[in-house]
Amino acid sequence: MLSEEQSQKHITTGSGDLNNILGGGIHCKEVTEIGGVPGVGKTQLGIQLAINVQIPVEYGGLGGKAVYIDTEGSFMVERVYQIAEGCISDILEHFPHSHEKSSFAQKQLQPEHFLADIYYFRVCSYTEQIAAINYLEKFLGEHKDVRIVIIDSVTFHFRQDFDDMALRTRVLSGLSLKLMKIAKAYNLAVVLLNQVTTKFAEGSFQLTLALGDSWSHSCTNRLILYWNGNDRYAYLDKSPSLPVASAPYAVTGKGVRDAGNSNHKRVRVT
Amino acid sequence: MMNHDQPSAKDRCGKIWSGMQLLKDTTESKHFLPTGLEGIDTLLGGGLRQGQLTEVTGPSSSGKTQVCLHSASLVAAKHMGVVMYLDTSNSFSPSRVATIIDGSSDVFGQRGFDLQPKDMRLKSVMRSIICESVFDIFALFEVLHQLEGSLLNDKVNNGGSKICLLIIDSISSLLAPIIGGKYPQGRSMMISVAMILKKLADEHNLSVLVTNHTVSAGNGAVKPALGESWRAVPHVRLVLSRECGSNICTATVLKHTLKVFPL
Repeated sequence: MLSEEQSQKHITTGSGDLNNILGGGIHCKEVTEIGGVPGVGKTQLGIQLAINVQIPVEYGGLGGKAVYIDTEGSFMVERVYQIAEGCISDILEHFPHSHEKSSFAQKQLQPEHFLADIYYFRVCSYTEQIAAINYLEKFLGEHKDVRIVIIDSVTFHFRQDFDDMALRTRVLSGLSLKLMKIAKAYNLAVVLLNQVTTKFAEGSFQLTLALGDSWSHSCTNRLILYWNGNDRYAYLDKSPSLPVASAPYAVTGKGVRDAGNSNHKRVRVT
Repeated sequence: MMNHDQPSAKDRCGKIWSGMQLLKDTTESKHFLPTGLEGIDTLLGGGLRQGQLTEVTGPSSSGKTQVCLHSASLVAAKHMGVVMYLDTSNSFSPSRVATIIDGSSDVFGQRGFDLQPKDMRLKSVMRSIICESVFDIFALFEVLHQLEGSLLNDKVNNGGSKICLLIIDSISSLLAPIIGGKYPQGRSMMISVAMILKKLADEHNLSVLVTNHTVSAGNGAVKPALGESWRAVPHVRLVLSRECGSNICTATVLKHTLKVFPL
């Protein structure tokens, strides 16, 4: 088991600092929850991961495909194209000697191929969301090269339609167990994007991740994205093997990158 | 009319112990398995007691999985027996076990193991930990029945290393989808899991460690999940809590059959 874990590749997030606090990137066989206020970059990170999982093995990636389940309609194809282009230009920058490699591998590095390897599901209600996850197992049996499943966002449909909170808890815990099982059985990473809500605790209102206390136990790792002044930060809140840590990152025209060069940064929208 | 095929009443009701036999058993065979975390061991009176069900509960990210990993690593490293780790959230991480063992070097000072190279030590530890992933309650029943069967066989054959610690992390995520609402079997399944675990602990001298999560109890307070029926099940209950942004966790004892705590 140990050798298996050591040979596990991680999915890079695009930002070196972020990769460091995550222990190399997003882990396969684990469910990672990413939450944050609107506008901090959750969908951007989700799209970046869907692209980064496709980086070919020759360039240090997993060479896998992605499943993107969109519940909010925030998957903008033009932006995905832009991020794919940014990822390709970074690969070519990092591997300048790849001109000697077979031109076949290089020809594959087209944004269109990256887009073609993302399986996109649009769900419009919570029943569709549950059905999509139930169908995932069959789908993954047929498409064994999928290495990441992203659900953006897992909260959306469970916030409005539900009157019965106990039912919601039951459904959500069943959902999370299924996702855990899929992650383990098909050796892929599951990334869940979550929204925030306010909670009254210790005499004041605090921002916490939505879906309640019982949902917070259903993931293996949790990453919280937040603003610190005009900078975006990520905080690793829960992990079985890594210490709690914080790292800055930026969302640029090319996608998620290290914070530092401030020319491309999108400023906080308040 | 007596049916001669059925066992007589005496066979059915299990072994009857006298007080002296019980005392002998308690002092000689019911040992404490250390968790490796001093504060928790002190609260527990030495460690996880064999024959008892210990529950660790707490809000998310308060260190419950770490307690499980520490106990598993330490018990395996000290060669006290085999550890069975049932994982519901893919959190079992061999590299974390390696870090824990490397950190607790005093264990090996006692046994003269420092001659062994690190990877050999790690291999022998990992061999003593059986890790299985369970993702629903029926799989858990399956695993527990198989475990019961193999333990009964071992008693007959007097096989090699026996299981001494069973860890379920976390049992609340397996029980959450079935409890409450219109599914009345949920609570009865929870109680039957509890009974099987206690029976395993008692008959085969296992120590059982389970983790539970917390739910809100109104006004910002938290209480352990799984409700009132589960409250009476574990012999020892610990609550962990972590202050915001720090690495220090505190443990409080909610219930302990052997200790009296001032109110």
